[in-house]
Amino acid sequence: QTQTTLTVANWLPPAHPLVSEVIVPMTEQITEATGGTVQTTILPAPLGPPAAHFDFAVNGVADITFGVQGYNPGRFTTTNLAELPFLSDSAEATSVAYWRVFEDQLIDAGEYDQVKVLGVFTHGPGEIFMKEADASSADVLKGAKLRVGGGIVHEVATTLGAVPVEGPSSKAYELLSQGVADGILFPYESVNFFKLIPQLDIGISVPGGLYNTSFYVVMNKAKWDSLSAEQQEQIDSVTGEALARMAGKMWDRADEKGVDAMDGQIAVSPATDTQLEAWTAALQPVIESKLGEMDEAGLDSAALYDAFKAEIATAEAELQ
Amino acid sequence: MQTPAAHRLSVPGITLRGVLSVLGGLFLLAMMALTVLDVLGRYLLNAPVAGAGELTEILLCATIFLGLCAVALRDEHVTVDLITDLLPDWVQPWRRVACGVFGSVILGLVTWRLAVYAGQIGSYGGQTSTLKLPIAPLGYFCALCTGVGAVLSTVVPVHRLIRYLKG
Amino acid sequence: MEFLASWPVGMVVIFALLLAGVPISFALAGVGVAGVAAIIGWSPALSLLGSTFFDNGRDYSLSVLPLFLLMGNFVVQSGIAQELYASAYAWLRHRKGGLATATVIACGAFSSVCGSSMATAATMTRIALPSMRKFGYPDQLSTAAIAAGGTLGILIPPSVILVFYGIMTQQDIGKLFLAGLIPGVLGVIGYAIAVRITVTWRGMDLPVEEKLPLMDRIRALKGTAGALLLFAFVMGGIYLGVFTPTESAGMGAGGALLLVLLSGRFSLRALGDVLYDTMKTTAMMFFILFGALTFTNYVNMSGMTADIQGFLASFGSTPTMTILIILGIYLLLGCVLESLSMIMLTVPVFYPIVAAQGFDLIWFGIFVVMVTEISYITPPVGMNAFVLRSVVPDVRLGTIFSGLAPFVVLDVVRVALLTIFPGIVLFLT
Ligand code: NA
Ligand code: NA
Repeated sequence: QTQTTLTVANWLPPAHPLVSEVIVPMTEQITEATGGTVQTTILPAPLGPPAAHFDFAVNGVADITFGVQGYNPGRFTTTNLAELPFLSDSAEATSVAYWRVFEDQLIDAGEYDQVKVLGVFTHGPGEIFMKEADASSADVLKGAKLRVGGGIVHEVATTLGAVPVEGPSSKAYELLSQGVADGILFPYESVNFFKLIPQLDIGISVPGGLYNTSFYVVMNKAKWDSLSAEQQEQIDSVTGEALARMAGKMWDRADEKGVDAMDGQIAVSPATDTQLEAWTAALQPVIESKLGEMDEAGLDSAALYDAFKAEIATAEAELQ
Repeated sequence: MQTPAAHRLSVPGITLRGVLSVLGGLFLLAMMALTVLDVLGRYLLNAPVAGAGELTEILLCATIFLGLCAVALRDEHVTVDLITDLLPDWVQPWRRVACGVFGSVILGLVTWRLAVYAGQIGSYGGQTSTLKLPIAPLGYFCALCTGVGAVLSTVVPVHRLIRYLKG
Repeated sequence: MEFLASWPVGMVVIFALLLAGVPISFALAGVGVAGVAAIIGWSPALSLLGSTFFDNGRDYSLSVLPLFLLMGNFVVQSGIAQELYASAYAWLRHRKGGLATATVIACGAFSSVCGSSMATAATMTRIALPSMRKFGYPDQLSTAAIAAGGTLGILIPPSVILVFYGIMTQQDIGKLFLAGLIPGVLGVIGYAIAVRITVTWRGMDLPVEEKLPLMDRIRALKGTAGALLLFAFVMGGIYLGVFTPTESAGMGAGGALLLVLLSGRFSLRALGDVLYDTMKTTAMMFFILFGALTFTNYVNMSGMTADIQGFLASFGSTPTMTILIILGIYLLLGCVLESLSMIMLTVPVFYPIVAAQGFDLIWFGIFVVMVTEISYITPPVGMNAFVLRSVVPDVRLGTIFSGLAPFVVLDVVRVALLTIFPGIVLFLT
């Protein structure tokens, strides 16, 4: 068989766990599964901003790219499903369930027709972190300036009565340390990774999280088609659900590390019943509007939502 | 300093300068005002300007590409003139035309690719995250400005060359 | 264009185009896209070209560039520079060479509200040169003081170059700004020493004025109020967390516009000129940036970084040797290249290398800015000398450059100092 080399575009620092514990092992597994007939090189510097990476794969600028669907607002509607609040505390369960529903139904929506999808997965649950605040107050979020990214987090924050302060996650430290923002909606991992722990005092964990972030790993279609059927099969065997599981596990580990790092510095407590009741009621319209967008795109959101929740339950059971 | 006769703008040039001046000026002032209102709103009213960041991005992009026309209008791109200044005077207008044609080729490529990219973004309904403003029109605007820049890049030095030859 | 797949060929071509006078932005974009095409093919290379120009033009953090430029242009309009110069002079007029020292200090102060070296040099030439000539200062000293003092524009925050560096290396621009403060003050001191050395060694017989009474000198400080207020507003706003470094540019521009209104120099016509100028400079710099990013993609794909790293490793280069080699390359390139293009060409290549050797990238940012300052004042291509020349065409370039020699020496001493004691740079961050 002929030897092929795939270039992998990377926009994160090489030490980021998404690179070192997901992308790098994935490339190694691809080489191993194909018996060395498919090699990979990860480019030393970013080719462009994160948002450009899906099109880099579409246009063949790089062969394999990864990123966040939400960086291209308006492009992906199927992602809405994976980003909803109150899904699961386990990124592994959500990711595996997400991949199964994706492979089974979401892919038919055609949003990924221009690429070969190697995997979709989600981050761990997004929680609430704030500077000095009364964690048990029902009004803890009312008027609080929360740093948010785009997409569903923005709507969640607004709906819960917070004042959204916009900015990329790399600016979160700047916004918090300078007091421009009073708090942030983030997974444990990100609070730790962006070195925000000293800037924050309390955390409120919400069962299933207030939101999720969806990720993709995709490959240029022409490059994929240039591989032999055997190579394609070999690559499929180490990507897809296996990749989603590996990524979900990584985020879970990173979240655990984040929780450990917060020990003694951020008092994390579960949301009170009053808070939960209020927030669940308040976010219901957000969930409905996100599902509504999917219906508008010709998807049967109710059935998909049920199927997704059932798959999450199955995946969670598998973890036990 | 007096502008050399060969470098003075023609009537269409002056009109274009006026249009660029008003539009670009508005873009810049809007960008400044957005930041000020956003910061003031955040503290005084607890209400920052929704989508201030993405509006700033759009204005920035529009200003840059509009500004390209202004730069091309007087052929003011930054160059290294270490060696070229040593060449005799009569060579300069010809050399500028050659550089202008090179610039037109590059800007022509960029124009084409910006239009293609804008089409691509439009095809999947790319929009900004908070205000849901479509992004493709901005891409076409940038392509249009670059196209004007590509034409000016050759026309302006040729125009100067003709004036130079006429004395 | 297959030959471009090898990066040394690409380097030769880019230098040839630049020296032939092709605009920097087009030369970089042209070689960049052709080089990328040689490696991955024309179709993906061209789509990368479109993405590079469009996506980076919509980067929120880059909005500081036009807004800092706008702020600087408003400041020029407001007459702050004259006031700064008058205040510094009131304190130094009784000293030999006092006018030149006052020029250096006023340049430093002006740099704290203007992000560009060439703008600082151009503004201070119009203000300081006439009075130094009136008092019989030789052009050799006065032009050198202005050209050198002007370089502080990119070191003392705000700084356009630090913004570019921050974008290219993904470093925090707020931290870079803070890191530039102390080296900037050291720069003012260094240039004051250079003035002193020039006066003494060349045995210049300069007139001195009568010392002003203390009360008059203190009263003269009033003239610094405008600049001080604006600087305190911008840096204080960042430091106290009222707004982010990114937002500080817009707030600073707003503050500077307010100063223009208060100064009574506002006119719609002047406003129009300032805005048009800002838009033009913004476009020039961004198209160079787009070109450089296109070229960077070529560097990225060509394996150049790895090759240079391998070369340094092949003779076991220590971090100190690496930084000395880089300093040497910068001093050489700085002679012949325009400063912005030098940074755009070199930073993408060097920063992964110095990071791998364990250097702090904030520190390296300040290092890069300081060697760029030197490039502004070394012959044959010294942009600040050119700026002076364009404002006062009757001065010979040779005069300016010969006067600059002691200033360049003091600059090299400062770079050495900050390389041996990086803590001076990182202290505030
Ligand atoms: Na400055
Ligand atoms: Na130089």
